[in-house]
Amino acid sequence: MSTDQRGVTEREPLHGPNSESSRGSLERGGRIAAATVGGAIVALGIKRRSLGGAAAALAGGWLLYRGLVGGRSGDESFDTDSASGDGRLDAVDASDAVETTRSTTIGASPDEVYERWREPETMSRLYGGLFDVTARDEDRWHWTASGPLGATVSWDTQVVEDRPGDCLRWESHENAPVSNEGQVRFREAPAGRGTELTFRFRFEPPGGSVGAAVTKRLEIVPESLAAVVLDRFKSLVETGEIPTLERNPSARGAGDLL
Amino acid sequence: MRALCWHGEEDVRVDEVPDPELVNPHDAIVEITATAICGSDLHLYDGYVPTMREGDVLGHEPMGEVVDVGSAVETLEEGDRVVVPFTISCGSCWFCEEELYSLCDNSNPNAEVARKVMGQSPAGLFGYSHMLGGYAGGQAEYLRVPFADVGPLKVESDLPDEQVLLLSDVFPTGYMAAENAEIEEDDTVAVWGCGPVGQFAIQSAWMLGAGRVVAIDRVPERLAMAREHGDAETIHFEEEDVYDRLMAMTGGRGPDRCIDAVGTEAHGTGLMGLTDKAKQQVNLEADRPHVLRQAIKCCRKGGTLSVPGVYVGHADNVPVGPLMNKALTVNTGQTHVQRYLDPLLEKIEDGDIDPSFVVTHREPLERGPEMYETFRDKEDGCVKVVLTP
Ligand SMILES: [Zn+2]
Ligand SMILES: [Zn+2]
Repeated sequence: MSTDQRGVTEREPLHGPNSESSRGSLERGGRIAAATVGGAIVALGIKRRSLGGAAAALAGGWLLYRGLVGGRSGDESFDTDSASGDGRLDAVDASDAVETTRSTTIGASPDEVYERWREPETMSRLYGGLFDVTARDEDRWHWTASGPLGATVSWDTQVVEDRPGDCLRWESHENAPVSNEGQVRFREAPAGRGTELTFRFRFEPPGGSVGAAVTKRLEIVPESLAAVVLDRFKSLVETGEIPTLERNPSARGAGDLL
Repeated sequence: MRALCWHGEEDVRVDEVPDPELVNPHDAIVEITATAICGSDLHLYDGYVPTMREGDVLGHEPMGEVVDVGSAVETLEEGDRVVVPFTISCGSCWFCEEELYSLCDNSNPNAEVARKVMGQSPAGLFGYSHMLGGYAGGQAEYLRVPFADVGPLKVESDLPDEQVLLLSDVFPTGYMAAENAEIEEDDTVAVWGCGPVGQFAIQSAWMLGAGRVVAIDRVPERLAMAREHGDAETIHFEEEDVYDRLMAMTGGRGPDRCIDAVGTEAHGTGLMGLTDKAKQQVNLEADRPHVLRQAIKCCRKGGTLSVPGVYVGHADNVPVGPLMNKALTVNTGQTHVQRYLDPLLEKIEDGDIDPSFVVTHREPLERGPEMYETFRDKEDGCVKVVLTP
């Protein structure tokens, strides 16, 4: 709790410049509402401790942050007015970034594994139920995290390094609300076991240290997100499908437990 | 459809739930004609298995008729009569290729949960908690079977359900237990637990060359079954000291091979048994390893311990010192059922064994809740229950 409160305190001065601009008390009321709703969504995300919940917390954290710094509500791209000069989120220092690395071994050659990762529909299948991912073109993906009550966060990523059969790296666009980067590396595994795939994933939680505290309390978010993505990808390559509990008679979705 | 659903400790009900559907290309839907209650279902019933959720459909020993297949299924078609193994295996990963089917990498949608607990995830199982897949089980009218080309065994002869049903779990499990015991010609094999797995372990021990089989339990009907059907010598563990008796029987050497066909809910006697029970009740210890302890103590130096009994969590006071100093080999694991289906079906078709000898109760699915209780309390001579939906 104390971490959260500190996070809120640190944000306080940010209200200054924004309040002095054209924003009136009505909008401030809107901000308080957004912060309250965001806080509720974050709490919901924590309580559920699921991947869907994690995505909800991400969206809720974003809404909370915007409520505090005075951004507009809704689904449009990030308003740079409320960001610092470099266009990135205010007060997000490097220590707030969450980074995780996970590996798996897949029974196919590095070239085959790379090809499969590059197929246009792969991302949406790997992240299904967590984020909505669409390919804008071969090198650009559009991501959306949705929470309840219509809270959404969207961002784009761009491939910045592409070495077939070896490595692929992507980064979010400069003004992305969830600043993030990721990398997959493909290495031949010993004893003919195929490919050792290493997935590195780094993001700066929305809401600076508030978001970071939330993410830390969730623990499970980046670690399990990376693990689930790798599990799904491995199954897809090895069997052509992803195991799922969708439409299970006990009515529970895949990964719901996390 | 109607299904037996878990609602909490000692609370199993017949519910109306949505019919399963084909979701993935390798799925099949099987209309269940016979389905058994397994001893390990009692661990769910008694609330010892974590990650069960209200409404989960139970059951992992089913058979029936294929009524629908996904677009990628090649070996099955509508109308086929199949026995469905409790292990779900993809057939394509390294473990499946090595015939280590219960360790399949690709069948558990909740692999990350299992990984947090165990380091790596084993295969998904039907109706056996969300950590091990979360798949609906087969004590129901219909069952969705993932990777249907790999699991289900087609039965083309007209053997009755009861004779082939137990290929889904307990017969292969007993057989693998005996195989894991590394039995050599004329070995003395001790089997703790005379439930269905123990009964099949006894039969299989003979098939693999045992010279003598000793069965240990406390339920008179089971001990009688081990004597009559399994040709075993028996020890009633509440009436005599197991260690003393085994030493007397083996000239002080101890049995060459020991099989723990009991697992987590062993009824210990004496102080250690009481301590386990108390700890388990306050969740300090998920498993009661009473049989494991006793088997380690009794086993011949340099002998083998085979553990088909289901353990789910951590256990205290497992005598690791004796295990190491006596140079025992331990073999464990959920059954790689797919590996045993064809050879064991052949044994049934050749008339070498009729597995239905363990079945004591035949009831409609509606009587499921009562049968869980009867089976758990070992009342009415209950050894194995078969339900028909
Ligand atoms: Zn079973
Ligand atoms: Zn597999």
